[in-house]
Amino acid sequence: MSASFAESRAVIALQGISKYFPGVKSLDRVNFEAKAGEVHALLGENGAGKSTLIKTIAGAYTPDEGTIVFNGKERVWSSPGEAKKAGIHVIYQELLLFSELSVAENIFVGDAPRGRFGFVDHGAMVSGAKAILDRLGHRLDPRAKVGSLSVADQQMVEIAKALTRDTKLLVLDEPTAVISGREADLLFERMKTLRESGVCVIYISHRLEEIFRVCDRVTVLKDGRSVGTRDIKSIDRDTLVTMMVGRSLADIFPKKRAQVADSTPLLSVRDLQMPPRVRGVSFDLHAGEILGLAGLVGAGRSEVAHAIFGSMAKQSGTITLCGAAHNAPTPRASIDAGLGFLTEDRKGEGLLMLLDAAANISAPTLREFTRFGLLNRPAEVTSAADEIARFRIAIPGPTAGVRALSGGNQQKVLFARWTRACHRVLILDEPTRGVDVGAKVEIYSMIHDLAAAGLGVLVISSELPEIIGLCSRVIVMREGVLTGELSGDAVDDREIMRLATKNLAAADARDAA
Amino acid sequence: MIGIRRHSLAPMRSGSLKRFALSGFLIALMATATALQPSFLSVSNFQNILTQAAPLLIVVLGQAIVILARGLDLSVASLMATMAVVATAFNATEDSMIPIIVAAVVALSAIVGFANGLLVTKRKVSPFIATLAMMIVLQGVRFAYTKGAPAGSLPAGFRYLGTGKFAGVPVNLLAFILLFALLSLALNKSALGRSVYIVGGNPRAAELVGIRSDRVTILCYIACSIMAGLGGLFLVGYVGTVDNWVGRGYELDSIVAAVIGGVSLAGGAGTLSGAAAGGLILVLLFNIVVILGLPVQAQLVIKGVIIVSAAALFVQGQRRAT
Amino acid sequence: MSAIARAAQRLAIEPALVVVTLLLAGLIGVGAMVSDRFATVGNFLAVLEQAAPLGFVAAGQTLVILEGGIDLSVGAIAAAATVFLAGAVNGRDGLMLPMLAAVLALSALAGLVNGIVTARTKVHPLVVTLGSGSVLNGLVLLYTLQPTGKAPTWFENFAFGRAFGLPISALAMVVGFVLVGWMLRKTRLGRNILAVGGNPEAARLSGIGVDRVTMFVYAASGFFSGLAGVYFVSRMGVGDPRVGDPLTLASITPVIVGGTMLGGGRGGIAGTLVGVLLISVLNNVLNYTSVSTFIQWVVQGLIIIAAVSIFSGGSKRP
Repeated sequence: MSASFAESRAVIALQGISKYFPGVKSLDRVNFEAKAGEVHALLGENGAGKSTLIKTIAGAYTPDEGTIVFNGKERVWSSPGEAKKAGIHVIYQELLLFSELSVAENIFVGDAPRGRFGFVDHGAMVSGAKAILDRLGHRLDPRAKVGSLSVADQQMVEIAKALTRDTKLLVLDEPTAVISGREADLLFERMKTLRESGVCVIYISHRLEEIFRVCDRVTVLKDGRSVGTRDIKSIDRDTLVTMMVGRSLADIFPKKRAQVADSTPLLSVRDLQMPPRVRGVSFDLHAGEILGLAGLVGAGRSEVAHAIFGSMAKQSGTITLCGAAHNAPTPRASIDAGLGFLTEDRKGEGLLMLLDAAANISAPTLREFTRFGLLNRPAEVTSAADEIARFRIAIPGPTAGVRALSGGNQQKVLFARWTRACHRVLILDEPTRGVDVGAKVEIYSMIHDLAAAGLGVLVISSELPEIIGLCSRVIVMREGVLTGELSGDAVDDREIMRLATKNLAAADARDAA
Repeated sequence: MIGIRRHSLAPMRSGSLKRFALSGFLIALMATATALQPSFLSVSNFQNILTQAAPLLIVVLGQAIVILARGLDLSVASLMATMAVVATAFNATEDSMIPIIVAAVVALSAIVGFANGLLVTKRKVSPFIATLAMMIVLQGVRFAYTKGAPAGSLPAGFRYLGTGKFAGVPVNLLAFILLFALLSLALNKSALGRSVYIVGGNPRAAELVGIRSDRVTILCYIACSIMAGLGGLFLVGYVGTVDNWVGRGYELDSIVAAVIGGVSLAGGAGTLSGAAAGGLILVLLFNIVVILGLPVQAQLVIKGVIIVSAAALFVQGQRRAT
Repeated sequence: MSAIARAAQRLAIEPALVVVTLLLAGLIGVGAMVSDRFATVGNFLAVLEQAAPLGFVAAGQTLVILEGGIDLSVGAIAAAATVFLAGAVNGRDGLMLPMLAAVLALSALAGLVNGIVTARTKVHPLVVTLGSGSVLNGLVLLYTLQPTGKAPTWFENFAFGRAFGLPISALAMVVGFVLVGWMLRKTRLGRNILAVGGNPEAARLSGIGVDRVTMFVYAASGFFSGLAGVYFVSRMGVGDPRVGDPLTLASITPVIVGGTMLGGGRGGIAGTLVGVLLISVLNNVLNYTSVSTFIQWVVQGLIIIAAVSIFSGGSKRP
């Protein structure tokens, strides 16, 4: 913490900010301030208004009420460009990169260094980019196309963008959603460096461990209002969670299921090969079991799931589902065999944004409502209404659209879809990403109920507390291979991280035991 | 309480607003036309207009389906003309040949549609380019065959199909109504129709719920081409002559009609009835131009203004190029 | 194919560009085999000369497609320009130069209107330009159905004249391409066009004035369409309202074939130039064969399909 922290003035102060959207009051007279040289956490459930607040600070939204005071002066941003010029930089969760342009061009987007006669000086751009990347201690070819980089590298490019200008306020929106482990550590180092140099950093995350690790103060938002701002040192996890949601941590996870006695596995994967991402994976999944598949982003976990479901081709390996060969599946065949898959990207790959909830829920099982090719719409709607009630989805009705739902409710719609579609095995990829704590709790208990009913559930997740809290057995992947299996009491976060980052080449001296 | 309203798939509010606006506009148009020409509001005039519109409306049905599936078909006009030429190639004069000719046209159109669909799904060519290329190819084939001047003959029965009446209703209009009913049923009440909307809205998500996106898309292109082929036959029946340019301009007109009717170019949203209403609006506008005594080129101007205004009114979804 | 792609990537060239250049080379080879008269300087110059109008509109269309849009009013603006120029001058040779400047400015203005409507409303550019093209086309045809007006005889030098032994129109076309290519690479506006095409929302949040970029590309496309209209006045001496008819769709083909993907953000002007040459050479080669015009159409359509499906295998854009 920088020495002058206590006296440093507020870099940004929001007073009485309100923002309305049709039908929803996203921000309700919020007061918020952050100081220079601090890392200030912004915490809240999804739908609490964090994203709206950030976009208002960044000039992407204009507040309907209230004032923004930046560096002592009242400001009104007419565009994000203006806010940028003033020294505010936001790194959004959806990385705003241009995959066809180079690293250097992305870093200097809209702001390219000019040479003679005002024309873009490519040489200066490349060397400028190199300088910034060196400052960050991250090696990247400034000429490489951003589309070819790993997600972690892409995030570094985003951070580099922030350093091209005299950034006074840096906002990071859930940066560790897509990176973990060592890369996250690097990120936190950068944040500390920036803090030391007087930059104000606003950090948004769902992960309480990180907030306690890196931040100085925390502000909690709930339902568009500010619940309060506290010093990190004077607060504990449970209090924070209670501020956010009115529930304590201990109530989040249902009592873990006892380990399953050995029985014939529901799903058997042997030597799955999908080079270069998956290089020989084998495991079993039993009825009534919640199996966790942990690992860093890019370890190849989602690919395994896609191969089992049939939405990605595998090169070789055998898959057995309920004793029958399931080797060259199509999604249709998988669904018919009782296998379901809730993918990672719910907005891009899961939800049918243009259709209503009933259509979304019935999508894989349309056949159940079809006779002689004709659809029984009333039955479909009634069935959807039942699911909505069962999963407590906050939606006006089964014929309402899904686009405007919160992340948690959208995820519940997908849950409803897959719980009715599959009766054997359900694969969940990041089931609570972008989901508020309240909905998380409900989803965890749904998963629990599914296993209790005899399904085999495979949970792919990068959130350690989730894996540890839910799963009775955990397998860990690293760079395409399984590095280990943990069960019962051995399931803890240090062990999982050790396996997730375990070096695979004996000669590499970086690995610490 | 669950309110099971009409079987619409799009989020409630925008769907009914669009419908309301369309019908309102249609009524306003008819009122204007009647004001300009009192004889407009007569049964015979309506019959004339609808007979004239029927071939376009048939083509519009097909185009709307393809657009719903996130595609586009620029080859429809060229296909219409090519099928007209195919029909005359039979050199038939007996009405008993008509079913055979129609069957041949349907079959060939289906093949063209299949080719379009294959290009778009398996070779991942953009629909704009694929169907544009197909349009050119069909044009070449047709001109090469006719050597610039179509010959051959058509059974007189086609004139009846194009201009005749059955129980007081124009035959081609009946045909349109029949096709509309069939396709509407398929689109709105069948699982296949639901798949079209799902694929059009998000092809990847469709795959992940077990729908064969490729198959559905190809079927849509086939349907569109068949409609174009049939439309070509009816148009020839209406006009009475066959040349190399039958249906010229119908490809853009059918897209315009669909857009006016609320079918989103981004795919997955819109209805056949909307598209048909759009087609009707277009034809009515053309008619008003004629009633007003304006030169026929004025239709182009009006068409342009209408399509932009209609689209602005409905504010189509995403803004991505074709 | 992947070997080509990898080699191309190492040279930092679009793989599509390599493919289409190879196609062009192959085509030239075929042409040489087909006829002796093909592989002559005279023939090549003639091809370049006639490629000019296609080149102009393709250049403008490239900018629009790179930005993520599409311009279907190309033909209409060209027709309006050609009729306006020939009609306004109408034998009064002194008016030629001022009218030339006026017509180019007006064409850019027409394009600007497209850009403004596209930027300010959420209407799809396909619809906007289809509509504006239709309106403009209708207005032109209402004005005249037949070729009209009269341009001074010296003006035909633009279409037919030579400078340094090369056709002036071809030189103008090449200059146009170089200018556009250089603008794309060396100016902020140019880089912004690619950014907006690649990821419009990111561009907006990154502080780029997306609306201004949009307005620019459509204005530029309007300008180039007007330039094509000017060319036709030079070639024909009068203003023919129908010159625009084939031009619109023709302007899109070389862009796509040259590797610029519909959807924006990818591709470049070099590909378009090769695409223009490819199509022009193709027409030329087919003329030398005894293939009828009609079969030429078929071949052209098939070549388009072939060129596009070879490298469309990657990203599928709607």
